[in-house]
Amino acid sequence: MAEKIDDARLVEQFRRGDKSAFERIVKQYSADVATLSNRLLGWPGDVEDVTQDIFLAAFVGLKKFRCECSLKSWLFTITINKCRTNRYKRWLRLRRFPQEINKVSLSLDSEEKDMDADEFRHVRRAVAALPTRYREPVVLRYLQEIGTDEISRILGITKNTLNVRLSRARKLLKEDLAELIEL
Amino acid sequence: MTEDKIKNLLQQADKAAGGANPVKVNVTVIRRRAGRKNMITMVAPFASAAVLMVALGILAFMFRTIEPTEEQKKIALLESRIKQLQARTDAALSLIQEVLEEEQRQHRLDELHAKLASISDPLEEVQNQVDKTAFVLVYQADRLYRELNQTDSAVENYNRVIKLFPENRWAKVARQRLSEIERRKTNNTI
Repeated sequence: MAEKIDDARLVEQFRRGDKSAFERIVKQYSADVATLSNRLLGWPGDVEDVTQDIFLAAFVGLKKFRCECSLKSWLFTITINKCRTNRYKRWLRLRRFPQEINKVSLSLDSEEKDMDADEFRHVRRAVAALPTRYREPVVLRYLQEIGTDEISRILGITKNTLNVRLSRARKLLKEDLAELIEL
Repeated sequence: MTEDKIKNLLQQADKAAGGANPVKVNVTVIRRRAGRKNMITMVAPFASAAVLMVALGILAFMFRTIEPTEEQKKIALLESRIKQLQARTDAALSLIQEVLEEEQRQHRLDELHAKLASISDPLEEVQNQVDKTAFVLVYQADRLYRELNQTDSAVENYNRVIKLFPENRWAKVARQRLSEIERRKTNNTI
């Protein structure tokens, strides 16, 4: 509740033309936004550029923000949209230059050498390979540990839909990571 | 249970990835980009309107209608009169042409009529020829009978005339001659 009041005050200050208000918003939420972007873009992504775009969109749209949800949720909604756009652009780029795909997989291979790292890399790949509609709920629920009410608000879906998607995502992950889950 | 396992696994994997590198969000750049974006948003309708106006101006210039001066009006009036006169002249010429053509046609028709009139009736011609032939046959038969005293040949010729031209006046003559010959033969016999 205190966070919400703080958000409202920051937004009000921003509307009145207080330049420091936006800087405080950036300082407060940039780490969370970057972390979510990193997870949604599949460890690692173009986090810096995406984060910059997210805060640009926030700067442009902040005057219209009506404080119906927390500023963090609102920023996460923007993050989700920007990450979708970024992934789509990346997919278009890779489709045009298929040799880039090999480079991406090579760079992932060269990062980690030991057994555990291989397993974790496999897990992250499984998450990254999930369809967007399943990956986003999984990241928000299990990695960001956000409540289902807020996730459904961020994604603009009902709670039932969210639960169905989470269930299906778990099923897919279970199939993909069966060996690791059994251990 | 499985959900917890998956959650733990995902969190461990995420932890192992090391998290996102520290991100430096440049607020000044954001302000500048937002300003540019705002400017584009504000300027775009004006730019579109300007482009539209220019396009409309070009179109208006291309299809412009200028109010004519008095002199131009007079010239236009004269031009229209000349056109009317030309049209009338054309119509008169075309009428004359038609009359001339009609006259030529009539003349040609008269010529053809005259030519047709000058040509003799073929039936009449044939009749003349027939008459002539019958006359020649009768004349020869008369000569054979009277001058050469060849009665049989003369009779043969008269019969030929009667057979070939039964309706002809010379056939009538031939019959008279034959009856005359017959009568004379009878008298001689008695």
